[in-house]
Amino acid sequence: MITGTGIVKTFKQRGKVLGAREVQALRGVDFAIPKGGAASFIGESGCGKTTLGRIIAGLETYDAGDVVIGDVPMSPLKPKQRQPHFRKIQLIHQDPYSALNPTRTVHQTLHAPLSLRAGQTGRSRAWMEERAAEVLSLVGLDPGSVLSRYPHQLSGGMRQRVVIARALTVDPEMLVADEAVSMIDVSLRLGILALLKDLRERLGVSVLFITHDVATARYIGDDGELYVIYRGQVVERGPVDTIIADPVHPYTQSLLSAIPVLHGLERPGEQPVEPLESLDESQADEGCLFARRCPFRGERCEGERPLLQLTGGVPQEHACFFPERRSVIARPMSEV
Amino acid sequence: MTKSAPGVRIDGLTVVYKTPAGELPAVRDVRLTLEPGTITGIVGESGSGKSTLALSLLNAVQPPGRISAGSVEIDGLGDVVGLRNEQLRKARGKHIGYVFQAAQNSLNPLKTVGKQLLDLGRSHGVNDLPGLVREARELLGRMGLDGARVLDSHQHELSGGMRQRVGIMLALVLNAHLVVLDEPTTALDMITQANILKIVREVHAERGLTTLVITHDIGVVAEVADRLAVMYGGRLVEQGPTREVLGAPRHPYTKGLIKAIPRLVGDIDEAQALPGRPPTLATVPAEGCVFRERCPLRMDVCDTVDPEARVDAGAGGPRAVACHAVTVKEHA
Repeated sequence: MITGTGIVKTFKQRGKVLGAREVQALRGVDFAIPKGGAASFIGESGCGKTTLGRIIAGLETYDAGDVVIGDVPMSPLKPKQRQPHFRKIQLIHQDPYSALNPTRTVHQTLHAPLSLRAGQTGRSRAWMEERAAEVLSLVGLDPGSVLSRYPHQLSGGMRQRVVIARALTVDPEMLVADEAVSMIDVSLRLGILALLKDLRERLGVSVLFITHDVATARYIGDDGELYVIYRGQVVERGPVDTIIADPVHPYTQSLLSAIPVLHGLERPGEQPVEPLESLDESQADEGCLFARRCPFRGERCEGERPLLQLTGGVPQEHACFFPERRSVIARPMSEV
Repeated sequence: MTKSAPGVRIDGLTVVYKTPAGELPAVRDVRLTLEPGTITGIVGESGSGKSTLALSLLNAVQPPGRISAGSVEIDGLGDVVGLRNEQLRKARGKHIGYVFQAAQNSLNPLKTVGKQLLDLGRSHGVNDLPGLVREARELLGRMGLDGARVLDSHQHELSGGMRQRVGIMLALVLNAHLVVLDEPTTALDMITQANILKIVREVHAERGLTTLVITHDIGVVAEVADRLAVMYGGRLVEQGPTREVLGAPRHPYTKGLIKAIPRLVGDIDEAQALPGRPPTLATVPAEGCVFRERCPLRMDVCDTVDPEARVDAGAGGPRAVACHAVTVKEHA
């Protein structure tokens, strides 16, 4: 179980030209990802989802709140003491082309973390070889043909599998996949998503999936939780399928309305929501963060910030004073 | 000089790249017509040859690549394959606007957008530079930006979606009526993507353009294109009106590609990845069908004979598919 409570992160920019300014990347985010569970963070670029992922993976500090891994809170620990805990959480980057060292074969890439582990636990060389072959098989690659190759000899999909295999060498409890399929060829994307789902089921690894493509979030498991993040605040949270089928926050509805409709196969939703303007982080922070862009804002929204809660008779948590179901997503022609 | 939407006829186009293993085709024997005033979308995975095909429209394939056969006839310009140096430089920009892949990174980081605009004007011999700036401001304003502010900005002061719009402005400002957009929305989030696609559609209609969109994302094509062409391993395997192709795909690759799109509703297990992986320049089979390794309908003939595109006149425009299995089934 990995939980976070009230995580706050502010980036300070010191600049002579533009003047100093502060960007609130995260404004008190809570999350909980059970062992073997799945969660997805979705939102626009700049909403804070990647920062949150990096904090969870121990790659970024935070200003307030706490991350708890297992039942150990991280804040009281010194950086060195945190390391073994954060090692249980492995980050899979968006770009498998830059995540692998081009001068190392797959064998060498996997050997570095394995020899570290072998040293710690007093295991033999033979174990390392065995384990390298094992993790490659786990991610659906043939060790015999892949081990001796360099990254440039592999396709994008295979590279991403090698990156996942490398993460598995340390027996992680959770994989954080940040836009892990957005640079993979379309015909191979589902294969990587299916692999993440498969690893959850077979190894009990939890998966945190960070993406702006909501549809892919469905494919890591229907028991997963979806967190919709906007300007550092979770604005809607609940089971993936509930939120996709019946979103109540206008921001979630805007995200879902923006997904391309496959005309000829699908019919667009009847009540698409379009934000009134584009994202501007320097907008005032009073009231609802989405108010300026929200077509349904009321007077209350300008002065008071709605908090994430379960109200309004809907099954998911949301941070909106006027939650309302709208039919925004495209449906298959065959269904109508 | 025509200043209405030009038509484009690509015929028998083959582009080869020189490699240690000899000259290998990245685009092979492609035949494609862009009707004046339409938006055509070319969909393909990495290595399918879609970007090479788009560059051929500018006759801008860089060595070690070269156009080895075929022609690209553009109304008002003639066959661009035959154009050389100065003629070619003038045609680019003035007749053909090109919005490059990753337009976010194709701006000069050291110069303001306005300076780059003036450079563009001077290199094309524009005398009325204030007029050019006015036109640019109008275009930017049309796309929902503050033109004056954007022209005074360096690229790092602009967001990804804004840079993409600057790319579109630079492609259109010299009054080009044929526009090629290479991966116009890659690396943009969903809301920004929807916004850019809307702009592409509106500007296309208002200015009377012929537009070609290159993408790996079927969703993008579905949103903007009138006609859809699917490329695989350097070959055009299927083309037709977008709605018809999406609603009733015929080539097994098109079918597989559509099936591989993660969907928002319906049974999760219905979406499935295509087995195997796309070919690279080195692994594209020299003879026979390029898709046969991954094809569920593979027959003996596919190993040796490259299927010809069979054209049908459909209700919404011609449809073509290059597949032995489809041809056999429909004739049986």
